[in-house]
Amino acid sequence: MSFFINFWRIVASSWKHFTRNLWLALTTVFVLVLALLSVNVLIGVNVLLTNAVHQLENKVDVTVYFQPDTPQAVLEQARFFMVSLPQVKDANLLTADKALEQFKQMHAAEPKIIGALNELDQNPLGASLVIKAKRTADYPFLLEALKNPQFDFAISSKDFEDHTDTINRVRDISRSVQLFGTCLIAVFALFSILIVFNAIRVAIYTQREEIGVMRLVGASNAFVRLPFVLEGIFLALFALLFSAAVVYVAAYYADPQLKGLLDGSDAGLVTYFVGNWWQLLLIQGGSLAALVALSSWAAVGKYLKK
Amino acid sequence: MINLQNISKIYHPNIHGLADVTLTIQPGEFVSIVGQSGAGKTTLAKLLIAEERPTRGKIEIGGWDITRVPQRDIPFLRRQIGVVFQDFKLLPRKTVYENVAFALEVAGVSGRRIREVVPQVLKIVGLDEKLERFPRQLSGGEQQRVVIARALVHRPKILLADEPTGNLDTINTREIIDLLLKINAFGTTVVLVTHNREVVNALRRRVITLSEGRVASDHAEGKYLLPV
Repeated sequence: MSFFINFWRIVASSWKHFTRNLWLALTTVFVLVLALLSVNVLIGVNVLLTNAVHQLENKVDVTVYFQPDTPQAVLEQARFFMVSLPQVKDANLLTADKALEQFKQMHAAEPKIIGALNELDQNPLGASLVIKAKRTADYPFLLEALKNPQFDFAISSKDFEDHTDTINRVRDISRSVQLFGTCLIAVFALFSILIVFNAIRVAIYTQREEIGVMRLVGASNAFVRLPFVLEGIFLALFALLFSAAVVYVAAYYADPQLKGLLDGSDAGLVTYFVGNWWQLLLIQGGSLAALVALSSWAAVGKYLKK
Repeated sequence: MINLQNISKIYHPNIHGLADVTLTIQPGEFVSIVGQSGAGKTTLAKLLIAEERPTRGKIEIGGWDITRVPQRDIPFLRRQIGVVFQDFKLLPRKTVYENVAFALEVAGVSGRRIREVVPQVLKIVGLDEKLERFPRQLSGGEQQRVVIARALVHRPKILLADEPTGNLDTINTREIIDLLLKINAFGTTVVLVTHNREVVNALRRRVITLSEGRVASDHAEGKYLLPV
């Protein structure tokens, strides 16, 4: 019973303290929001770079051109074999008839080309197979897989050689972006920890005399400490909600502006922040609350010993 | 009963706050501890509430040896002694009511009891009309009365008043001393630490004079005499 009475008193006392100390609370919340925003800006930049790399990776594929007279059964066999490989994300077969149809549509406004095509007795175009790998690192393996004797004889050409450099560059960029982004987030997280710790220390320093009075009146260390810890958690909660709102609004307005940088593709900021909202809130809120609580505990402890 | 046996307090490097002080204060007494600045009055007050520990000697309060009290038990000791300070030491962001109630809350007293007792005590000190005021909205005398109410609210056996009139004018000083006498009349031991000669001489109660950390005189109906 006594535990619940004391717990309720501590909660009520910290809430009152928070509302009556509004300016100090707001300035501390402001510092916490800045710390959270700096981390979120870097998360956003990382998302943007990762999406840009994915966009590039998606443009990479291997197109296999078959000889015009390749039987349909061989084509289907090649497609089936490639699709069954775990490294393959997608394999689309374009039949000779479909290729001819697409060619005619593409050149519909050019009568000379269409006329020349009509002069021929048979379809000069062969079928093609467009293969996308799950990871760019898998393309060399897929090129090897295409040497399967069951359909290798029917392949007239492959255009992967043209993309080898791009694939390697994309792979390097992707690795560098992830490493750089992670390091930068870690550095900013460290700065944020120091900023938050200092903000809480300053906030408690201004109330050091009150801590002394509480002790003189007979408050136990826990009874002095816990309201400050709880008040810190209130501050963290407000900072978290405020920064979440700022991040969402910023992502909402930044997404369309960034399309130009990504060849018209979605920048993916809103998708990322909305899709991962609970993990982000949980990780950032949990870390901030724990940090603030520990900082408050340590900062109050300094004045309890005096 | 408060019993000090051969108490010495030496501050680094070799400054004697108190030197071999032995005295006894009986339950229900009103004792003034006087002396000039640096005589050791505040050191004695701090030792009585275990804010500091003596270098040598033993202090017993109601048979409890507080020189050996573990750190975790100090809050319990402080709940037994009401303390009034010269600089009030009120919690600035709590109202008058909350400041007084806080002394009971830390002791885990029920909400019902707090709602019953706090207005009564504030009525005794004449602040029942100002429950919702904050300390900054009160005069010095009123703030000191809140401190006395806070010190009294858990019915302590001992009330320690360290220069309670130091920041007050003559009228407020008179009111505070009257209040302390009233509290003493209810049976509470009052230890008044002061350097206010007029107050001590008007009281005609026991006076212990400290000088350079030692007991210079101890008279049952004493006066605060100017040093020769």
